[in-house]
Amino acid sequence: MLKLIAYRLLLAVPQLLAILVLSFLLTYLVPGSPAQALLRFGATPERIAEVEAELGLDSPIHERLAGYIGDAVQGDLGESYLSKRPVTDLIVERLPATLSMVIGGVTVSLILGMGMGILAGTRLDRPADRAVMAGTSIAVSVPQFLLGLFLLLLVSIELEWIPVVAYVRFTEDPLLWARGMLLPSLALGFAASGLIARQMRAGMAAAVHSDFGASLAAAGVSRRRFYFRYGIKNAMVPVLAATGLTLAILVGASFAVERVFSIPGVGHTLLHAVTSKDFPVVQGAVVVIAVLVIVLNILIDIGYALINPRIRVQ
Amino acid sequence: MTAMGDTVADPAAQVSEQEVTAARRTGTFGRIFRRPSAAVALAFVVLLVLVAVFAGPLAPFDPDDKNITSALEGPSGEHWLGTDDFGQDVLSRIMAGTRIALAVSLGSVAVAALIGVPYGLLLGYMGGWVDRIGSRVIDMSDALPGLLVALALIAAFGRGLWSVVFAIGIVFCMAIARLTRAVTLAERNKEYVDAARVSGLRPPEILFRQILPNLIAPLTAQASLMLGAAMIIETTLSFLDVGVEGVSWGGLISAGADELRRHPFLLVPPGAAVILSVLAFNFVANGISDVLAGTSLGSLRSKACPSAAQLEPSASHAKPLLADGSFRPDGVLEIRGVTVALPRPGQDPVPLVEHTWLSIERGEVLGLLGETGSGKSMLARAVLGLLPRPTYLSAGSVILDGAEISGLPERELRGVRGREISAVFQNPTTALSPVHTVCRQVSEPLRIHLGLSRSEARDRTVELLELVGVEDAASRIEDYPHQFSGGMAQRVAIAMALAAEPKLLIADEATSALDTTTQAQVLDLLLELRDSMNMAVLIITHDLGVVAETCDRVAVMYAGQIVEVNDVTSLFDTPRHPYTAALLQANPAADQASAGRRPTIAGRVPPPGEWPSGCHFANRCSFAQPACSEQPVLFVDGVRCLRSEELAQAGALR
Repeated sequence: MLKLIAYRLLLAVPQLLAILVLSFLLTYLVPGSPAQALLRFGATPERIAEVEAELGLDSPIHERLAGYIGDAVQGDLGESYLSKRPVTDLIVERLPATLSMVIGGVTVSLILGMGMGILAGTRLDRPADRAVMAGTSIAVSVPQFLLGLFLLLLVSIELEWIPVVAYVRFTEDPLLWARGMLLPSLALGFAASGLIARQMRAGMAAAVHSDFGASLAAAGVSRRRFYFRYGIKNAMVPVLAATGLTLAILVGASFAVERVFSIPGVGHTLLHAVTSKDFPVVQGAVVVIAVLVIVLNILIDIGYALINPRIRVQ
Repeated sequence: MTAMGDTVADPAAQVSEQEVTAARRTGTFGRIFRRPSAAVALAFVVLLVLVAVFAGPLAPFDPDDKNITSALEGPSGEHWLGTDDFGQDVLSRIMAGTRIALAVSLGSVAVAALIGVPYGLLLGYMGGWVDRIGSRVIDMSDALPGLLVALALIAAFGRGLWSVVFAIGIVFCMAIARLTRAVTLAERNKEYVDAARVSGLRPPEILFRQILPNLIAPLTAQASLMLGAAMIIETTLSFLDVGVEGVSWGGLISAGADELRRHPFLLVPPGAAVILSVLAFNFVANGISDVLAGTSLGSLRSKACPSAAQLEPSASHAKPLLADGSFRPDGVLEIRGVTVALPRPGQDPVPLVEHTWLSIERGEVLGLLGETGSGKSMLARAVLGLLPRPTYLSAGSVILDGAEISGLPERELRGVRGREISAVFQNPTTALSPVHTVCRQVSEPLRIHLGLSRSEARDRTVELLELVGVEDAASRIEDYPHQFSGGMAQRVAIAMALAAEPKLLIADEATSALDTTTQAQVLDLLLELRDSMNMAVLIITHDLGVVAETCDRVAVMYAGQIVEVNDVTSLFDTPRHPYTAALLQANPAADQASAGRRPTIAGRVPPPGEWPSGCHFANRCSFAQPACSEQPVLFVDGVRCLRSEELAQAGALR
């Protein structure tokens, strides 16, 4: 198991380097120069050169790239053009809220998705199965933030079950934190639960139709016993693979969901940086979010290995 | 699938390599829209396009026309969808927003295809290190959320239409590249590309003439999914006020969000517009994928020869028939006139196995010999009550120890399977669940049928594994199936089948996937177990050698019928059916003396549904006469041939 974790970490290194390079190159995509974009229209060439020197944009590209990667590896992602605060601080202080939403979203997608998938998978081609499958088609068609708005409207404003409150940190009050995360997690995880449900159902169907499904049936294992002792565990293999892929989707969608529920996540910082052309913050957000997704994916891979012995042994 | 490109992608509509081959069939797109859901969805998409094109003249109001006196009104005759906080007509604004929604989704998917298709073609066609590195780049994109990539590019390029189109296009190009690569790889290895290469077409011509046509259908399905996903990203960007400037659905939702307490209805029209549009794209994609997968018009053959059983028992309408000549009604198992059929919509069912009579005595090893598609495995499934849906037992009955078991309720059949009749199937590496230990699976019959406790079952499992020859059994029971070699895995599967000491073991091609030495060992094991447990064994095989070495008696099956039954020595020495004779002559080991050209049987086994009305073998038989094709040939005295006696006397079948 330790070997597996080490291997996965090793694989993440080139991935991370590539993402650092890509995010570094972002400023070179800007028409004109970042300084020009920052100063908007009417800036004199002298003023642009001045700002470029100020921002360290005048040295050769390879020097800057080496410097950028060297600093990034030590956790230094540069300074915000606007607030002059370290980018790492700006983003990391908002990471807990984003992470809370994403973990909540993954939890919802797994609970709902596996539940629906088991319901459909144990009733293959029957009305309940078709109903669940139709439901998943609708689930994946609703933008997460839109569902968030509808939930906010229904649960908090019309029914007044959960008050609209400011975000409470987990360390302050875990219960209030959980209550505040309920609707955002539901909004975030519902679409992904459609994907999970389909994987779960497909995995159970594959198990039923598999050779071992036939062997166990011939040995006298009832269909019900097969579903719960064999089908679900076999289906967890594709389900976990799909969970890994939904992670990035959930992180992206959280930027819009956090606005609906006024949660102080990375999205707010990122959007502010995007509209104000604060490139170091945009680049830093790309890097930090990529690291977050990679780390969460490694955790999922470990869970994958726990379920799938073929991987564990390698 | 790429996380970047899959904001809402639907795995059911993922396009697999298998579907790609199906795509070559003509008329794919025509069939898609016979499905009502896909047809309605497509009509909706067409409506969207019309609204986007004619939004100007069609809209009842100028979308930017403000009128504060009529702000935040509900739906009325004048404003069908009400007004917003500036008194602007919501319907007109939705229609105006359709333009940005469609322009951005269509544009970005086009950009994704323009980048992704050439990239995927390159990787798939070049192979080697280009592919390895290029594929790693695709995999890396999984760690970047699509929305994040789009935001970063918008930061660099601004909020112009082209900028947003490009930003979202980049998000999806990797998923398109992945699909294109998979299709290209699959096509590249096919013969016709080789043939094209030999015939002197240059690589670019091969790519464009041979591979691209096969890409179109799966790519269209993927693109349709992406249109929906792109629309969600576009709406999200507009909602966050970083999308294309102008009237957009996301902007309308944002306005609705601001008035959530005062006028929540404002959310409904733009929300519905987004959800319905994305749904429409997804349903069109599902329609394409379903047709590619062949689920709507599956061919007869694929249904007739399913690879594995479903656990669901088939409904049986068993009615006893009179026995033919050679039937011995004293066996542990009697198969009486069993007919298995596949229902067809609007037509008569197709028989897969026809009027089969067979009996197995206690301790006997009976071979069921036949080519692939002869119906022998289907017969085994019928005995177990495990016919794959929708096939069913349309006539006949299965008698176990004098009691009929066909048509028993599932609850009672479960007591038969594993306890009275067990089965081992062909592929040992897939015969056991890969994510469960061997102990858990082998103990199932012990726990279910013998009611042993977990620890008793465990002890007995060790004994069983020792019995079938698994070395060091005690330390191996917590191992997983993949840790066993093919031969050992088949021994484990046999241990599971034998655990509750059944009276009959069905070995359905149980040694066909093994190498020769292992095959011999496993066959020996079956014979030993037959002796020690006094168990009957039904060996289903296409291999004459297996029959010769292990069986006491043998039944030969051809096109759903048993054509001859005899004891092994007699059958090999004096075959009485022309098919049996032809099989023996075609067999390499049968007659070493006649080295030189071995005759093969001309033609092919007719598939179910195409069986001749008379003798099923008539059109391939060198002794056939007009009478053979006139009416069904009965099974008389152990053989199903009109000329059997005549030919035997003439020595024609030797």
